[in-house]
Amino acid sequence: MSSNDPLELIDQYLDRVRLYLPLDSEDAIVELQTHLIEEAERIGGGIMTAGSAMMAIERMGDPKSVAHEYAGSGKKVGPVPAEYVNPLSRMLIVLAGVALALIVGFTMIGASLTELFGAEIQNWPFSIPVMLIINVTILLIIIGGISLLDRSKPLTEKTTLETIFGIGVGGFKPKTKWGAAGDFIMGLIWGVILMLPVVTVLYTAAFQAVYLYVVVFLLLGAVRGALFYIWGENNLNLAFEAILSVVWIGLAVVLVNVGWPIQYVYVNEGGSWSLFNLVEFFQTNNIPFIPFDWIWAFIMFITVAISVWRIIVSSMKITMHLRAGRGIWWQGNWGEKRRLRKPFWKRVLGDQDAVQSGTTYHDGYIEPEESQ
Amino acid sequence: MSKKTQEELDRWSKEVKRGAVTLAILALLSKRRAYGYEAVKLLDEKMSFLALEQGTVYPLLRRLEKRELLKSEWDYEDPTKPKKYYEVSEEGLKALGAMTQTWSILSREMRDVVMEVE
Repeated sequence: MSSNDPLELIDQYLDRVRLYLPLDSEDAIVELQTHLIEEAERIGGGIMTAGSAMMAIERMGDPKSVAHEYAGSGKKVGPVPAEYVNPLSRMLIVLAGVALALIVGFTMIGASLTELFGAEIQNWPFSIPVMLIINVTILLIIIGGISLLDRSKPLTEKTTLETIFGIGVGGFKPKTKWGAAGDFIMGLIWGVILMLPVVTVLYTAAFQAVYLYVVVFLLLGAVRGALFYIWGENNLNLAFEAILSVVWIGLAVVLVNVGWPIQYVYVNEGGSWSLFNLVEFFQTNNIPFIPFDWIWAFIMFITVAISVWRIIVSSMKITMHLRAGRGIWWQGNWGEKRRLRKPFWKRVLGDQDAVQSGTTYHDGYIEPEESQ
Repeated sequence: MSKKTQEELDRWSKEVKRGAVTLAILALLSKRRAYGYEAVKLLDEKMSFLALEQGTVYPLLRRLEKRELLKSEWDYEDPTKPKKYYEVSEEGLKALGAMTQTWSILSREMRDVVMEVE
């Protein structure tokens, strides 16, 4: 991955530094960004070029050490070097969170945890940590081998190990503004659709009794989307999200027992719409209703797993923000990637109020061949 | 200078610098606020003996801010280069006053002692 855009080089380098920093270190990254740009401009005699940016980056040094020196990337834990404590613990949390989310999801739909995909798990549950340790060891050996090939990479390019560490960073990113807007719009649309008389007539009797709770939940989901859209990520919004997730898990316990919610579907006969009893059709023709039950169980499983994940992430972030003395509410940020460059559409339209590009030049700099 | 003397000098310089750097940063920032890069360059220019590098200055600025001796403010005027300006807080000024007084006594007494040796 070569680039001759100085800002892109700086961005790539900072992405590497970010991996070794604690979650809430965006301030340190911005401070480093400004330092690199100014240093690159100084080296280039007031003009930043790819070459001068690369020199500024090389002067700053190895991303691991920079993260450790600048913002304190953590303390040594056992045999783990201090620089690796943050990315490793983040990855472990992601793994534990995903495992927990899957276990709760499986339990919710009544799947046996000792038998998955038709295979019986021997010595449950002791075999799980043993298998995990064996697999992690194999993974580390493979990563170690691949890392040897990464030694000649330039400072702006992520190593294989860092690409894996990146998984942990993505899982904790704040909601994007567009994502929050989507939550609001979809919550509102589905909340309204589920209440429409033309839709409610399709429900099974069991779902008729509970569908209003689902509607209320969806509308509350829209409120959550609006809160995140307007105020970004703060403790109040995170707490609201965690509470909603707990409520959904409770609701899912009921819904999974209610079963497939649709009894009728609309059919067009001779130009007019009428209701067709789907359940009765399957029963009278002796066709098992299993596919629909499975679809329903799968939907419940996915939504519960997501809810568990949200509870874990929200609780962690709330604790982190409280430790930083931020309190309950503040104008928070969104998860959009901070860009040094003007967006493409602004460049095309010639937008004037964005990033000043007067001091940025391309000098034909291309990263060394071995980086390819 | 022998290797042994050089090693002793390096060790002693490191110890002297460690004590002096907080005072130097507080003194410089008490005159005018500065952002990270500016502070690094200012210290490089005015305090060549300390030979402070970016990797030392930034963590120190953070630590001093955490200890409430410095306060900071972000300036987003140039969106490509947001600047975090540091300035000495009330508490920092008090600490600076006390440190300066101690430093004056120390340097005067040290000068006297060193002159006796010379």
